Amino acid sequence: MNKNERKNVLVKSGRVIDPEKGKEFISDIYIKDGILAEMGENIKAKGKELTEIDAKGCIVCPGFVDMHVHLRDPGFEDEETIETGTLAAVKGGITTVACMPNTSPPIDSESMVKYILEKSEDAACRVLPVAAMTRGLKGTDITDMGLLAEAGAVGFSDDGRCVGDSRLMYEVMRYSTQFGLPLVLHEEDYSVSRGGLVNEGRYSSMLGLDGISSLSDDVIIARDIILAGRSRAKIHITHVSTRGGVEMIKKAREGGLDITCDVTPHHLFFNDSYLASFNTNLKLKPPIRSEEDRLALIEGIKGGVIDAIASDHAPHLDTEKNTTFRLAEFGTIGLETLFSASFSKLCREEKISLPVFISLITTSPAKILGIDAGKIEVGKTANIAVIDTETEEEVKREDFISKSKNSAFIGQKLMGKIICTISKGKLAYINK
Amino acid sequence: MLNKKSILDADSLSLEDIKLILSNADSFLEISRRDVKKVPTLRGKTVINLFFEPSTRTKTSFEIAAKRLSADIINFSPSTSSLKKGESIIDTLKTIFSMKVDLIVIRHSDSGTVKMVDRFVDIPVINAGDGKYQHPTQALLDLYTIKKRFGKFEGLKVAIVGDFLDSRVARSDMNLFEKMGMDVTIVSPTMFLPEDFSAMKVKHCIGDVIEDADIVYMLRMQFERQDRKFYPSVMEYNRFLTLNMDRLGKMKPGSIVMHPGPVNRGIEITDEVMDTSGELAEKIVIEEQVTFGVAVRMAILYLILG
Amino acid sequence: MIEKAYILNEDDIDRVVRRISHEILERNKGPESLVFIGIQKRGVPLADRIAKNIEKFEGTEIKAGKLDITFYRDDIGQNIKPNARITDISFDIEGKNVILVDDVLYTGRTVRAALDAIIDFGRPKSIQLVVLIDRGHRELPIRADYVGKNLPTSLNEAVEVKLKETDGLDSVTVVEKG
Repeated sequence: MNKNERKNVLVKSGRVIDPEKGKEFISDIYIKDGILAEMGENIKAKGKELTEIDAKGCIVCPGFVDMHVHLRDPGFEDEETIETGTLAAVKGGITTVACMPNTSPPIDSESMVKYILEKSEDAACRVLPVAAMTRGLKGTDITDMGLLAEAGAVGFSDDGRCVGDSRLMYEVMRYSTQFGLPLVLHEEDYSVSRGGLVNEGRYSSMLGLDGISSLSDDVIIARDIILAGRSRAKIHITHVSTRGGVEMIKKAREGGLDITCDVTPHHLFFNDSYLASFNTNLKLKPPIRSEEDRLALIEGIKGGVIDAIASDHAPHLDTEKNTTFRLAEFGTIGLETLFSASFSKLCREEKISLPVFISLITTSPAKILGIDAGKIEVGKTANIAVIDTETEEEVKREDFISKSKNSAFIGQKLMGKIICTISKGKLAYINK
Repeated sequence: MLNKKSILDADSLSLEDIKLILSNADSFLEISRRDVKKVPTLRGKTVINLFFEPSTRTKTSFEIAAKRLSADIINFSPSTSSLKKGESIIDTLKTIFSMKVDLIVIRHSDSGTVKMVDRFVDIPVINAGDGKYQHPTQALLDLYTIKKRFGKFEGLKVAIVGDFLDSRVARSDMNLFEKMGMDVTIVSPTMFLPEDFSAMKVKHCIGDVIEDADIVYMLRMQFERQDRKFYPSVMEYNRFLTLNMDRLGKMKPGSIVMHPGPVNRGIEITDEVMDTSGELAEKIVIEEQVTFGVAVRMAILYLILG
Repeated sequence: MIEKAYILNEDDIDRVVRRISHEILERNKGPESLVFIGIQKRGVPLADRIAKNIEKFEGTEIKAGKLDITFYRDDIGQNIKPNARITDISFDIEGKNVILVDDVLYTGRTVRAALDAIIDFGRPKSIQLVVLIDRGHRELPIRADYVGKNLPTSLNEAVEVKLKETDGLDSVTVVEKG
C-alpha cells in the first residue's frame, strides 16, 4: 500500500447533504480504510494515520458526477491526460467522470474502452468511458455497440460531432435498445452552424461575428425526439443551450418519452453580451446564447426539465486559444469550476435549494448513466466532497490543476470552494 | 396433382399440397440412392432453368432433378449487363415461349419478378428465388429434412438466426413452419427486423434460444456494403449471432442445425463447427438438405408436369 | 360394381401358389439364381408367398423385393396421380433370374413399365413373369411364364383380387364395371 495514501479520514461537524434520501443534517463522517464506516455526532476515532478535516460551516455531499468530460487521452496528451484530468476533477469535488470518445484513436472499439478503464484504474477519480456511436465518429458506420457495452461503456455518443444521416441515427437508436444504454446526443445541424462562431443574434451582428443560429440545436433536437419516439431509445440531450430545446424536451417527456438532458455551468452563467470582449475562452459550442435562452435554462432547472449539470470540460492549448476569434478552438475547461460556477448562479442568485442543486450533479447524472454513484452510504467506498459555501474567490489562471488553462470563468468571482475531496476511499484533494 | 400449376410462394401452398410433395419425395429419394438414378417419367418434357441471379446449388439441384426424371433441361442465364429495366425480361420470355417449353424454373434478384413472369406465361412457373420475397422450394426441402429427422412438425421449436428482412428463405420458411404447427422465434438484431416486430417472437442473441430450440436455422449473412445495411462488423456478429462450438455444445439432444447454403465460414458458422466430427457433427444436416433438395424438387416437377 | 362370378377361394389360391412355386424350381433347376420382385401392390405379397414356399422346400434363403412402377408408366399426364409406393430392391440382380410377380395380367403395360425399371437396376440373366390371373386383352406383346388361372373377360368387366396381406381375405372375383 502506498504510504502516502490517506484512507483514514474524519470529517467533523459538516452539514451533510444526502440528495438520495433528501436529508440534511449535521454529522461527523468517519472513513476507515477507504470505507465510509460511520456517520453520527461526535465520532471518536483514533489512529496514527488519521486525517481530521474540520468541516464546521461547510457542506458535505457525495462526490460529484460529471457526465460530460473530454480527457483528450489518447491522442491529445499535451492538452490533458487521464491523470491530469482526474486530478483536476477531484479539485472540483468530482469523484466520477464520464469521458467522451472523440480522442485519437477514438473510443470506438473494445480495446479502446479497455484502454480507458485500465489507464484510469489508478487515477484520482473513477472514469467511465462513453463509447462512440459511429466508427471514427464519421457518422457512416455503426460501432460494435454490443461488444462495447460488454467491455464497459456506460453509454454511446459521437459528441463533438452530430450524426447528420437521419436513417443512420435511427438505426443507431434502434440498435441501442438491445443494450439499454443511453445515447448522449450533441445536437448540431451543420448546414445551419457552418462557419458560425457565436450565437446568431443581436450581439453577433453588433460584433461582426458569423452566427450559429439556435436552429442548429433545435432542428436536430426535434429530429431526434421523433426518432427516439419511434425507436424507443433512451436519449440524453447534452449541453442544451436554447429555449426551444428546453420546451421540446419538456413536451417530449410529458408525452412519455425516455429523454433526459444536461446543461453546462457556462450556459447558465453567461449570455452573449459577454462576447464584447472577444474573449476566446467564451468561444463555445454550442455557443453561449441570448439572455432569453439563458433564463429558459434556469427555468428548466427550476421546473425539473433539466436533469443534470455537466461541465463539457474541453481542454485546449494556449496556442489554440491565443489567436483570432475566428481561428480559436471552441471550448472551455470546466471540471474545477463545475460546482462553484453553477452554485453561485443557481443557489446564491436564483435561490434554488441546495439539495435540489446537489442532486443535479450527483444522483441525477448517476441515474442517467445507470451507475452506482452520487450517494452517501455507510459500508461502501467513500466518495465525499467538503465545500465551503461562504467564501468568494476570484478564478485565477494560475490556480488551475488542469493541463490546459482555457477557462471561461477566469476573472469571475465565484462562491463555493472545495475544501477536500475523498475519492475511491482516499483523500484525493485537500485545499491548502 | 397440385391444385395450381405454378409454385410462386409459400403462402399459397395448401396443407394438402405440402403433404403431397413431402410424401412423394420419399420415393424420389429412393431413386437417388439407386445405381441408375433415372426414371422415364418426364421423358419428352422440356424444362428451362431461367436464372437471372447466379446460383450453383439451386440451379444444379433443379437440373439434376429434371434429368433424373428424364426431362430435358436448358440452362439460361442472361447476363445482368444486357438487361435494361423490365424490357429485356419480357423479350426473353417471348423467346422462350416460342420455343414451346413445358415449365420455367426462375430466379431473379428483384422481388416480385417471378410473379410477374407467371402472369405473363401460360405454362407452370417455379420460383427458385424471387428477390428478397420468397424461396418456396427451399422451404419445402427444409420441411422434408425436418420430417425425416423428427417424424413430425407440431410443437417443434425453430430459431431462425440472421438477417431476417433480406432473406427470402426466412420468409418462406417462417410461413411453412408456422403452417405446419411449429413454434418460430426469429433471432436478429434491430437492423434486420421490421420496424414493428411486436407480432413476431424475437430475440437478439443466439444464446437466448440455443438451449431450447429443436431446430437452429442459420441464414446467410453477407458483409458487402450493400448487404450488411447498418450492421457494425463480423466481430459483433460473432458475439451475438454466430454458431460456434460452445453454442453447439449447449444444444439439446436430438436438435439439429440447418442452413440453406453455401455457408460463409466464420460468419454464420465457425470453421470449427463445420469441420467437427463425432457426436455433435450429427446435428449438422446441411448436406442432407442438399440431398433431400433434389428429391423434393423431383417430386415438385413430377406433380406439376407428370 | 356388381359381383358376377366367384373364381378362386382361399384354398384355390393356396394350391395355385404352391403349384407355381414347384414349376419355378423345375424350370430353373433349383433355387440358386432366383430373386423375386413383386409389383406394387398385390404382386408384393404374392412374391413373398412364393419365395417363402421355395425357402421351405429347398431350405435356402430367397431374396424378395418390391417394385413401384408409377414413374415408368406410359400414361403420364392422363391420370390423377396415385401416390407412389415404396420400391425396395436391396439386392443385386446382375446375372440373376428375376421372377417378376403381379396379380393380374391385362394390357401388359404394367409389365412393360416393370421391365424398364428392372433394367435400370442392372442386367439380369433372365426375367420370368408370374401372374395369378391372365385375363387377356393384351395391347403389347407380353406373355406370362407362369399363370395361376386363365380367365377370359370382357372389357366391361374387372377382375378383383383380394389377398390377406392387403385386404384381409383371399379371393378372386369378376365384377361388372358400374
